[in-house]
Amino acid sequence: MKKVLWLFLLPLVLFGADLNPQMQKYMEELAKQAKQENPDFKGFDYKRGEKIFTSTHIGKRGKPISCVSCHTSDLTKEGKNINTGKVLPPLSPQANPKSITKVKKVKKWLKRNFKDVYNRVGTAQEKGDAIVYIVNKK
Amino acid sequence: MKKMKIFTILALVGVAFATFSMADSDEYSKKSYKKYGSKYSVAPVNNKLYEDECASCHFGYQPGLLPKRSWVKLMEPRELENHFGDDATLEEEDRLTLLGYLTANAADSKYNNSRLSKEIAREIPRGLTPIALSQTRYFKHDHDEIPKRFIEQKEVKSIANCAACHTTAQKGYYGERDIVIPNYGRWDD
Ligand code: HEC
Ligand code: HEC
Ligand code: HEC
Repeated sequence: MKKVLWLFLLPLVLFGADLNPQMQKYMEELAKQAKQENPDFKGFDYKRGEKIFTSTHIGKRGKPISCVSCHTSDLTKEGKNINTGKVLPPLSPQANPKSITKVKKVKKWLKRNFKDVYNRVGTAQEKGDAIVYIVNKK
Repeated sequence: MKKMKIFTILALVGVAFATFSMADSDEYSKKSYKKYGSKYSVAPVNNKLYEDECASCHFGYQPGLLPKRSWVKLMEPRELENHFGDDATLEEEDRLTLLGYLTANAADSKYNNSRLSKEIAREIPRGLTPIALSQTRYFKHDHDEIPKRFIEQKEVKSIANCAACHTTAQKGYYGERDIVIPNYGRWDD
């Protein structure tokens, strides 16, 4: 019982003010899932999120790529889709209040973008870490 | 005195010319549209779902740029799974809604009276079902004079990035008056 309570409280403590209710609920689901995947899971982590976001991998098109390739390293600025040249709105909610507000959209893009960069889907822990990084990066 | 007059006139002409050149592309587009009607334009996108789902990775290509059979093929679930190397899958309900929107407004739809659309529909050989307008002979014919470096530069990246050069592409207008190639300028030939 105590453990369950802890799991539910943790995301609230971490994100309380930053995420809207549907996103908070999504983070709670991710935390629950992460705990199932890894019993040692202690909560999402900014530093791990930073590594996920900035490290380069051989992506699904067989070329080196990172999340930074399209979103740039300054998340408050516009990005550019390296496949099509289209300008992307800033990922940081500090610069773009619409970002990270719709669970359906966030889920869809995390699925696509992990495949773009890691050539596989992300784990619950990786997705949560990445969101914590995106939301808190100054 | 006479000299002075000529100078004044020249200066005025200069100012007028500069003002004209500075007029934003909206102005150009209005003028051009009046002059050429739909010869160089297709109906703009007016569907929010389409903007969200099909204009997130790239410019939102107007339905009037491809014939029905092309949209039908592009929108097949298996095609969307591997869409130019990307995953563009949709929920089934959204897929059907968008398929309806695209085919109703396609280049060869009877509801479409743009002359540009009709030309595209006519120029694509019956036996072909291209899903990339940029790979059609019709399109290549219009774009084969552009030097490669202007396409490969980072501001453009791809010839399918229509809005990078056609400044009023969002409005469906593709006429020459509104073409500005980054790091080159207006395209006049
Ligand atoms: C190939 C280019 C590309 C790469 C690489 C990429 N993204 Fe994206 N990402 C996009 C596009 C395009 C969107 C949709 C932008 C829009 O229309 O709002 C997006 C949207 C998102 C969103 C949703 C934003 C919102 O509005 O809520 C998140 C979260 C995200 N990306 C995270 C990531 C992460 C994490 C990585 C690395 C694993 C990554 N992206 C790599 C192109 C990319
Ligand atoms: C996840 C990213 C993504 C999404 C979502 C997406 N596309 Fe694309 N699309 C691409 C890429 C990448 C290309 C190739 C672009 C290039 O060559 O510059 C492309 C190319 C195209 C082309 C060909 C353009 C040309 O003339 O070369 C059409 C038409 C097109 N997409 C329509 C759509 C439609 C309709 C949808 C919505 C159902 C859609 N796209 C959603 C990534 C995407
Ligand atoms: C690199 C810049 C560039 C890009 C990208 C580009 N175009 Fe063009 N386009 C041109 C130029 C330059 C011309 C004029 C060719 C001429 O008449 O000499 C042209 C002509 C056209 C014309 C014929 C207009 C006329 O005056 O006859 C159409 C239609 C058109 N483009 C549509 C598109 C579409 C649709 C896309 C995206 C799929 C696109 N273009 C992408 C530069 C570009």
